[in-house]
Amino acid sequence: MPADTAKTTPLVALRGIWKLFESVTVLRGIDFEIHPGQVHALLGGNGSGKSTIVKIISGAYQPTAGTIEIGGVAAVLSRPSEAHAKGIYMVPQEPHIFPNLSIMENLTTGLAGDVAANEQKARDLAGEIGLNVDFTAPGGELSIANQQLVEIVRGLMRNARVLILDEPTSSLTRREVASLAGQIARLTAQGIGILFISHRLNEVLELSDTISVLRDGHFVLSAPASELNAEMLVDAMLPEDFKAPAAAAAEMAAKAHDDAPVLEVNGLSGQTFRDVTFKVYPGEVVGISGVVGSGRTEFAEAIYGIDTDATGEVIIAGQPAPKRSPQISQEMGLAYVPEDRHAHGIFLEAGCGQTISASLLSLRGARYMSHRAERDLAHSFIDRLRIKVSSAGQVARTLSGGNQQKIVLAKTLAPEPRVIILDEPTRGIDARARQDVYRIIRDLTANGVGVVVISSEVGEIAEVSDRVMIMKRGRLTELAGGACGVDQISAATFDVHGGVSA
Amino acid sequence: MMKIFKSREFLVLVLLIVMILSVATVNKAVLYPFTLINIVNSSLFLMLIAIGQMFVVQTRGIDVSVGAIAGLAAVIFGFALNAGIPLPLSMLLALLTGFVGGFINGIGVAIIGIPPIIMTLGTLGAYRGFMRVLTGGSWIESIPQSIKSFAVTRYLNVPLMVWAVAILVIVVAVLLWKIKPARNFYAVGDNADGAYLLGINVTATRIAAFSLSGVFAGAAAIVFVGQIGFVPMQTGNGQELKAIAAVVLGGVSLMGGTGSIWSAVIGALFLTAVDSMMIFLKVPGSWNNAVAGAVLLAVVVFDYLIRRTVRNRQLAARAAEMRRAEQDAEPGQPMEARS
Amino acid sequence: MKSATWYKSWEFMLAVALVLELVVLGLINPAFLNIENLLFSTSDFVHVIIAAVGLTLVIMTGGIDISGVSIMGLASIVLGLAFVAGVPIGLAVVLALGVGALAGAFNGTVIAETDVNPLVITLAMLFFYAGVATGLPTLLDMMGFSVAGAGGFEAYQYEGITGLPKSFTWIGTGGIGWVPMPLIVTAVIAAVATWLMHRTRFGRFLYLIGVSMDVARFTGVPVKRTLVTVYALNGFAAAAAGLVLTAYFTNARSDLGAEALLNIITAVVLGGSSIYGGQGSVLGTFLAGLVLGYLRQGLLALGITSDVVPVIVGAVLIGTVALKIGMSNLNTRRANRAAYETERMAMTQNGG
Repeated sequence: MPADTAKTTPLVALRGIWKLFESVTVLRGIDFEIHPGQVHALLGGNGSGKSTIVKIISGAYQPTAGTIEIGGVAAVLSRPSEAHAKGIYMVPQEPHIFPNLSIMENLTTGLAGDVAANEQKARDLAGEIGLNVDFTAPGGELSIANQQLVEIVRGLMRNARVLILDEPTSSLTRREVASLAGQIARLTAQGIGILFISHRLNEVLELSDTISVLRDGHFVLSAPASELNAEMLVDAMLPEDFKAPAAAAAEMAAKAHDDAPVLEVNGLSGQTFRDVTFKVYPGEVVGISGVVGSGRTEFAEAIYGIDTDATGEVIIAGQPAPKRSPQISQEMGLAYVPEDRHAHGIFLEAGCGQTISASLLSLRGARYMSHRAERDLAHSFIDRLRIKVSSAGQVARTLSGGNQQKIVLAKTLAPEPRVIILDEPTRGIDARARQDVYRIIRDLTANGVGVVVISSEVGEIAEVSDRVMIMKRGRLTELAGGACGVDQISAATFDVHGGVSA
Repeated sequence: MMKIFKSREFLVLVLLIVMILSVATVNKAVLYPFTLINIVNSSLFLMLIAIGQMFVVQTRGIDVSVGAIAGLAAVIFGFALNAGIPLPLSMLLALLTGFVGGFINGIGVAIIGIPPIIMTLGTLGAYRGFMRVLTGGSWIESIPQSIKSFAVTRYLNVPLMVWAVAILVIVVAVLLWKIKPARNFYAVGDNADGAYLLGINVTATRIAAFSLSGVFAGAAAIVFVGQIGFVPMQTGNGQELKAIAAVVLGGVSLMGGTGSIWSAVIGALFLTAVDSMMIFLKVPGSWNNAVAGAVLLAVVVFDYLIRRTVRNRQLAARAAEMRRAEQDAEPGQPMEARS
Repeated sequence: MKSATWYKSWEFMLAVALVLELVVLGLINPAFLNIENLLFSTSDFVHVIIAAVGLTLVIMTGGIDISGVSIMGLASIVLGLAFVAGVPIGLAVVLALGVGALAGAFNGTVIAETDVNPLVITLAMLFFYAGVATGLPTLLDMMGFSVAGAGGFEAYQYEGITGLPKSFTWIGTGGIGWVPMPLIVTAVIAAVATWLMHRTRFGRFLYLIGVSMDVARFTGVPVKRTLVTVYALNGFAAAAAGLVLTAYFTNARSDLGAEALLNIITAVVLGGSSIYGGQGSVLGTFLAGLVLGYLRQGLLALGITSDVVPVIVGAVLIGTVALKIGMSNLNTRRANRAAYETERMAMTQNGG
């Protein structure tokens, strides 16, 4: 179904939209349209600005600059209920279910008008869309697939003309995805426009009429789905500066492991990962490729000592570490840069110097650090990692994502670890900062530090790793041969075949 | 039905009954109807302000000014009666005083964005001071004693006041059940962002919660004046903390979204009963607060342990569900790209 | 913690407010400006400052402890009972302070080990410690301890314990030169707390935990141990406040300080602490405590009834926070706007 967007007035159009948060620019003047009866898919890496676009269209955020047109008329959406009134409804990735209210109440909460009429309408729509449940049961008992249907019914209850589906398939089984695809077809047949967000490229290609790829706050590709294929989408999402690693990769992979490993993990098991075993040698980069939900972050946290329930053996720099905590791990020489920078990595409201000194100060036996010593420490890292700050006292919140990540790296490197685990080290940072991070990794290995890079960006794994391992469904396996081609890693991490229709 | 038995309200009710029965093994007088009615009777004031508090806590707020609002409303009520204003109109004035007091809290919290504890702590001082300014610091006496007839007259051996509050509680419970916007209190406390995205007016809901808290404090003031027939300066002093203790004990989480009017009712009954039990056990009354505090601590810690167990079980179930979903997808794994 | 120029700091503004306040009150009533008078009148309210200094450290971590007002009474009655039981007064003081620290440490332990809101836990403990304080005398009776005089220990519950030795009451009523002892004790405690906050690793941990407890945990900050310690310190400070008040009143009572909660929290918040943690200063609290204390004194001296005082204190508390919220909203908006302009300029210069 080729998109014929020229003839219809878009249901929603964004014109030159900018959005800044606390001085961090997320969207840089983007244009975007959703047409009746069409599915427009939005693709992009983490931090590319996707969710911000969604929130602007659904009225949760207001743009810093630019206009929104609804049905060809300029509009201001200052809160979600105004978007609802104008026929726009977002089905969030994590459906907003109220566990203590009944399913019927979950469907009708927030609606005005006659209760009985609303309930009848909800019942009818639920039947149409295939939500067959006991409406008096509490919302907490809904399955994940049905939670999504509840959200869709909520949208239809509000007579939505535009439905935004934010990664609706990420936690659905294949059968559920197929049934959702059927619903999407029914909805578009009624003239409803759909904004579709998903990780799964084949689903996107199959379900959408138009596909737009967002990177660093602007569109790098926007075309009818019929003219695109998976490779083109992967290429568009790769960073601009990405170069396929040359022969050097193979050479690095051949590096001999003469020294004793700096990290040895034997049979580590937890709730979301099982029997993870691997070794890291000094001076090498082990890349671990895995998608969200594969257990990659959970197992890294178990090694570092955040999750203390995992079983198995961890040996750090030759020393067995049966009891681990972030403090103990760092004392033994293991450091960790968490995936969620804002929640776990950086003290957003603190000065940069205070974050940089934090790990070092936390070691047992560490002493109070004078302001001068702290400033000197901060300055040495600001120079070494090329951090752009006005002073060591600048509050981290006001920095760009890349500089924030470098601050986290500085904090982590200050105690001079022997081995460091980097979880999604370049998530949401721009191209130049990404190269800086890679340079820092190279410097570390040159000094004999062992590095583990966990990432879901295949290109990144290919670029930095000496050895590649794949994390899938809680299992870790080494990619044989040592060669680190993008294709090979993609094939092992995802799958390029398969379709939506069951 | 199972849901009722698993609820915290039920747990505390069982604890209450067990406590009364075990005290009865020491002193049978506890089970005399007169005693039990007395406990209910003396819990009315706390019960009403706890019900008001429940609305606020459900929406993830806290209101430490309810005692002061009750005191202020009692003063207005006393003045009105002394000025010869008819009883129903005086009652309305008391409720209105409570409403205004609560509404001001709501504006500060929901519109200006002041943390609830700070806002209501500030108005706690302000309202209490205002009450003293109004009265010049002296008690309001010489209130027409006809007001006490409510508290003294008994029907089926139970004071009319108890009947009145019981009917009020049932009416409010039915209203909360029947009126759909009442669900907004849960929704806002449970997931304020989600509620906002669904188009619920979170600001208005918060203001309504604080206003209701004030109105119930006003109702509590009417009960108080009716029961003792005058307005001492200490009216409502320290009751705000007891009201919070009562609703938390009864199962309203300070993280919002849980609990019901029965939490407030049972929590208030429990805390009042503890005081009476001490008398029957011949424990000096000076220990009452210690016992109330220990019970509150034990219940919230116990509740934490239960929640932790449930959460761990849910996580395990979720992991299993995901694994099953992935295995389901195994034959032809869908291609995924990172976002 | 921000590196703003000193004259723009909150503490400086408080100092200016304090001077202005004294000048205005002095202009209206010159008798008010008698130095000795000014200094000795602090004895009426320094217990609030001592407790507020302890609470400042707790609020720095984003927590709260409202049970301090009960610990004040508990420490007072423990001291009194120990004294009448024949314990030397020095040891009784140590005992009372120890009980306060222990009570605080217990709060901290429960807070660190569960996810229950600190407000709920310390609310329970506010009742518990108050109950223990009022109940202790009768407990001693029940346990068969005897004491000279009629009525047993229970009598102390109502009347308090008097006849405390001069060496102890001197802490409340004495002075060195023109400076009264309670003010000296307060200054020493505030100085120690300032040192802890700004010159020790522990102080930095408090700050980091307040900025983000999760980030602190990932960073390796010993979060649980720090929390237990800071709540213990708060208990200690509350106990010290209770003892100073006991010495000042020359009477050990279990209900001392019960009314101080509003004033304590107002002093902390007016002093510049954020209830969400990560922001605050002991000096600010100290100055805010003086501003509030003299405000009360001044209003009374002006013939305004004491009833109006809480109205004004409440208004000051709410006004301070509302002002801060307004200022921070304004700053964020301005910063966002400026950043957008620079970004857009850069973009147009790069041609797209």
